[in-house]
Amino acid sequence: MTKNLLYKTSRAYVLFSVLLLVVSAPLFYYSTKKLYIDETDDTLLLHKNEFVKFTLPTLKVSEIAPWNAYNRNSKIQVFKNIKTDTLFYTSYHDVLDNEIEPYRELNATITIEGKPYSYMERISLVETEDLMQNIAILFLSIISLLLLGLFVITKRLSVQLWKPFYKTLAQIEQFEIDKSNLPQFPATTIAEFNRLNASIEKLIVKNTSIYRSQREFIENAAHELQTPLAVFQAKIDSFVQTGSFTEKQYQELSSINETIVRMTRLNKNLLLLSKLENDNYSQKQTINIPEIIQKNIDFFREQAFAKKVTIQLQLTENLLVQSNPVHAEIMISNMFLNAIKHNINEGVIQVKTGHNALIFSNSGQSKALITDKLFNRFSKSNPSDHGNGLGLAIIQKIATVNNWTVSYTFKEQLHSFKVQF
Amino acid sequence: MLIFAFMKLLLIEDEKDLAHSIQSYLTGKDFVCEWVSTTQAAIDKISNYEYDCILLDLMLPDGDGFSVLQELKKQNKTEGVIILSAKENLETRIEGFQLGADDFMTKPFHLSELLVRIQALIRRKNFNGNNLVVFNEIEIDTLAKAIKVKNEQVAVTKKEIDLLLYLIGNLNKVLPKSAIAEHLSGDMADMLDNHDFVYAHIKNLKNKLKEAGCDDYIKTVYGLGYKWQND
Repeated sequence: MTKNLLYKTSRAYVLFSVLLLVVSAPLFYYSTKKLYIDETDDTLLLHKNEFVKFTLPTLKVSEIAPWNAYNRNSKIQVFKNIKTDTLFYTSYHDVLDNEIEPYRELNATITIEGKPYSYMERISLVETEDLMQNIAILFLSIISLLLLGLFVITKRLSVQLWKPFYKTLAQIEQFEIDKSNLPQFPATTIAEFNRLNASIEKLIVKNTSIYRSQREFIENAAHELQTPLAVFQAKIDSFVQTGSFTEKQYQELSSINETIVRMTRLNKNLLLLSKLENDNYSQKQTINIPEIIQKNIDFFREQAFAKKVTIQLQLTENLLVQSNPVHAEIMISNMFLNAIKHNINEGVIQVKTGHNALIFSNSGQSKALITDKLFNRFSKSNPSDHGNGLGLAIIQKIATVNNWTVSYTFKEQLHSFKVQF
Repeated sequence: MLIFAFMKLLLIEDEKDLAHSIQSYLTGKDFVCEWVSTTQAAIDKISNYEYDCILLDLMLPDGDGFSVLQELKKQNKTEGVIILSAKENLETRIEGFQLGADDFMTKPFHLSELLVRIQALIRRKNFNGNNLVVFNEIEIDTLAKAIKVKNEQVAVTKKEIDLLLYLIGNLNKVLPKSAIAEHLSGDMADMLDNHDFVYAHIKNLKNKLKEAGCDDYIKTVYGLGYKWQND
C-alpha cells in the first residue's frame, strides 16, 4: 500500500502521541496520587508529633473524653497493641453525604498517666480525587495541545521542506530519455536535496549519453552495413548472369538471394527506426488518413490476393491528422502488411476509421497475442516466419513520435490494432 | 534495346568490388561504363569527356560527391546524374536534387533496378518527345503508358507496363523475384517480406502478350526468378 510521505510521517506522530497518552496517563495518575498520599502521611505524622510534643504532656485521663469530643479527625482510643506508628487506608460512613468516604489514617501508641492508649488521626481523601481529576484533565489538555501543535507544525514544515523534492519528482516524471529536454532542478537550501538533484542529474546525463551513443551505434552499424550489403547484392545479381546453373544450384542461389534481401530489409528497417527516434523536428502537415488508404489500396489488395484475403473498408470521408506524410504512409502500409502476413487463407481484413481512430482488424490465429512484448523489436509471434519483427515496433514508434497511441484487442476471432490520434 | 547502343556512363565509386559488379552488369552491347574512385579523377573525366549518365557515390575518399555535382554545374554540363548513397535521409536527397542530381538510389540496390533507372534517365534526357521503346514486335510508349504489339493496341495496366519496361530493360538478364518485387512495390519494398505477388503479375502480362500474338520472351529461371530472353 502506498501513501504519500506526509501521511506516513503524520501517522508516526499520531501513533506516538496516542501511545504516550495511554502510557503516561496512568503513570501520571499513580505518581501524583503517591505524592499526595506521601504528603498526607507527612501531615498526619506532623500532627501526631505536635500532639505528642504540645498536648500530650498535660493531658489527663479524665480529659480524653472531652478532647475526643472536640476533635473530629483525631481521637484517643483504647490501646490497640501496636508497636510503631501505622498508616493505612480506610473508609468511614459520612453522615452528611450518606456515603462511604475514603480516609488515610494514622495509629500510634501514646501513654497518658502511665497507661497506654492509641492515638488515631485521619484525613479525608475525598478532595484528592477531585484534585487528581483536575490535574489529569489539565495534563491531558496540555499534552493534546502540545501534540496537536507538533503535528500541525510538522505538517506545514514538511510541506515546505519537501517542496524541492516534489519539484524534482515532477521533473523526473516529465523526463524521457529519447527526448532532448534535460530536466532543470531548482537549487535548494537543503543539502540532501541538492545531493539528490546532483546525483539524479549525473545519472540522467550519463544515461542519456549512453543511450545516445547506443542509438548512434545502431545507426552507424546499420549505415556501415549498407555498403557490404550493396556489394553482396551486386555480386549475387551479376553472378546469376554468368551462365546456366543446374536446378539445385539455382535453388541455392535463390536462397542466398532471399537471405541477402532479408538482411537488407532488416537493416533498412533498423535505419528507419533510428531515423524515427532522431526525428524531433520533422515537418508535420495535415493528412487525410482515408485518402492515404485509398491511394494505396490496389497495392494492398494485390498483396492480399495470394492468400485470398478480403479487404473491407469502412472509411469515413475525412480523418485529418497532423503528421509527417511519410510516417503516416509507412505506418498504414505496415498495418496492412501485418494484417495480411498474419492472416489465414481466405481471411478478412477490416479497416475502419472514426472517432479520431484508425482500426485494423484481421482474422488470424485463433488465440489472442501475448501483449506485453508485442510492440518490442524482434518480438515475433511465430519465430519461423520470415518477418523481421520490426513492423509493430515501427508502427509503435511512429505513433509515439506523433503522440498517438496504439492498442491491441482480440475479439470475435479478430485481432484488432487501433491507432488513436 | 538498340536505342541505348554505346551510351557512355561514368561510375564514381570507391568500393572496388561494388564498382566491378556494376561495371560488369552494365557493360554490354548498350553501354560503356568507365569507373573512377575519387572526386578528383571524376572531375578530370567530366572536364574532358561527355557522358550520357553519371553514377555518383556520395562518400568518397577525397571528399564529398556533392563537389562533383557542383563542378558539373560550374561547367554547365547537363549529364544526368544518379546518386548512389549508403546514407539515406531527406536532407541529402534534397541537397542532391538541388545540386542537379536526377535520381537517388540507396544502397543496397539490385543492379537490374539501377539499369532501368539509367535507361529511364537517358530516355528523359536524350529523346525529347520521343518516348518509344521498341523491342521486336512490341512498342511501348513510356509517356502515354500504352503498348502496341504488331501495331495493335494491347490493354494493360500501368504496373504491367512498368514490369514490361523493367523486363525488356534487363534483356537476357536473370531477374530474381525479390528484385522484381522491389521494383514493383517502390517505397513499400522495405516492408515486404513476401514476393509471391510477382508471379501473378508475370502471369497476367504473359497472357496478355500471348493473346496479342506476341512471342513468349519471359522465361522462368527455376526457383530464382524470371528472364526476358531474346533467342
